[in-house]
Amino acid sequence: MTAPEAPAPPAPRRAREGIMWRKWLRIFHRDIGYVAVALIIAYGVSGLAVNHIEDWNPSYTFAERGFDIGPLPAGDPAALADAAITRLRLDRASVRGHFLETARELRVFLTDGQEARLDVTTGKGKLKLVARRPVLFQLNALHLNNLKGAWTYVADAFAVALIILALTGMTMMKGDRGLLGRGKYFVLAGLAVPVGFIAYAFA
Amino acid sequence: MTLRIASLALIAALAAAGCSKGPKTDAKAAPAATAAKPADGAATAAKPADGTASAAKPEGTATPTAAGQSFGAGVKLPDSTPIATILANPKDYAGKTVRAEGMIVDVCPKRGCWFEMAGPNPGEKLRFKVVDGEMVFPLDAKGKWAVAEGVLSVKDMSLEDSVAYAKYQAEEKGEAFDPASVTAPMSVVRIDGTGALIRDKQ
Repeated sequence: MTAPEAPAPPAPRRAREGIMWRKWLRIFHRDIGYVAVALIIAYGVSGLAVNHIEDWNPSYTFAERGFDIGPLPAGDPAALADAAITRLRLDRASVRGHFLETARELRVFLTDGQEARLDVTTGKGKLKLVARRPVLFQLNALHLNNLKGAWTYVADAFAVALIILALTGMTMMKGDRGLLGRGKYFVLAGLAVPVGFIAYAFA
Repeated sequence: MTLRIASLALIAALAAAGCSKGPKTDAKAAPAATAAKPADGAATAAKPADGTASAAKPEGTATPTAAGQSFGAGVKLPDSTPIATILANPKDYAGKTVRAEGMIVDVCPKRGCWFEMAGPNPGEKLRFKVVDGEMVFPLDAKGKWAVAEGVLSVKDMSLEDSVAYAKYQAEEKGEAFDPASVTAPMSVVRIDGTGALIRDKQ
């Protein structure tokens, strides 16, 4: 007859605390990640768009349509603009103003940044059309903080959330796959890329 | 359970940080960078015969006010100096804070970091330039009326620099450029902007 086994001793206090903080960090990481995911994607998409601003316009699209309305009768700029508006059959409510860029080149400004540009002596010109890129225009406005004001504070909170996500992300795993295992090599590799660029650019 | 509540509390705190300050005007005064004017004889455009400007809905990146949309530090000086007066003797105003107004005839198409205001005479334009991102002027501001304030800057350029400058300007606007069109050194006159007000009409 054997004596009943004694209950296992409780885990040491230090080990329990270790489990607790990791659990907390996982919960923060998970839930903050849920909240931040929309803006992370939005900023990522916008980042790709504005990184290549030298090659394209990330916020607007442009189009041109040629026209020939014949030589305009001589007159002052207002008369020239009036004649052009009439011949182009523009909605006068959409006309904001006009400007004589040169002795021959008349510009008639329309709503939404569009304009008619023509040579008054020939009547040949172009209608310059401008449109906001759907979605991207708005994402860029958020990402570049064009809105200013209260959005600045939302963006600040988002930046803090990203820092928390980065720091808590490194604690997700422990052991060989954790930060102290192979994780440190990945962290160093990620650090080496920007440091290398900085060293190259500013050395 | 306690952990979840704590997690939600942290998220709520982050959200509160984003909302608690309320709307704020972007009142950062920002000195800035370019407005250009063809110098004597040189030019981005031929000198016209005569011309006018008339203007008109704000949108976008700044504080709407009853009088329009305010950008940056807004406009503080009580009176505007006519653009024609500034351009006639720009060096008289160099380094001084000026207020000028006119119809917007061009806006930086990529970053919204500058706009040009028309003077009363044809071809007469004064550029208002801000540091990228400090203020962002929407493309559809063209044809609206701007009241702008900042420090006037005058820069005399060599012929070589003038060609490079004109080339860059043309590329930024997506326009064709002929280097031969720049035959003399240019002088770039611009307001390094601290604030502006854009409204539909004069």
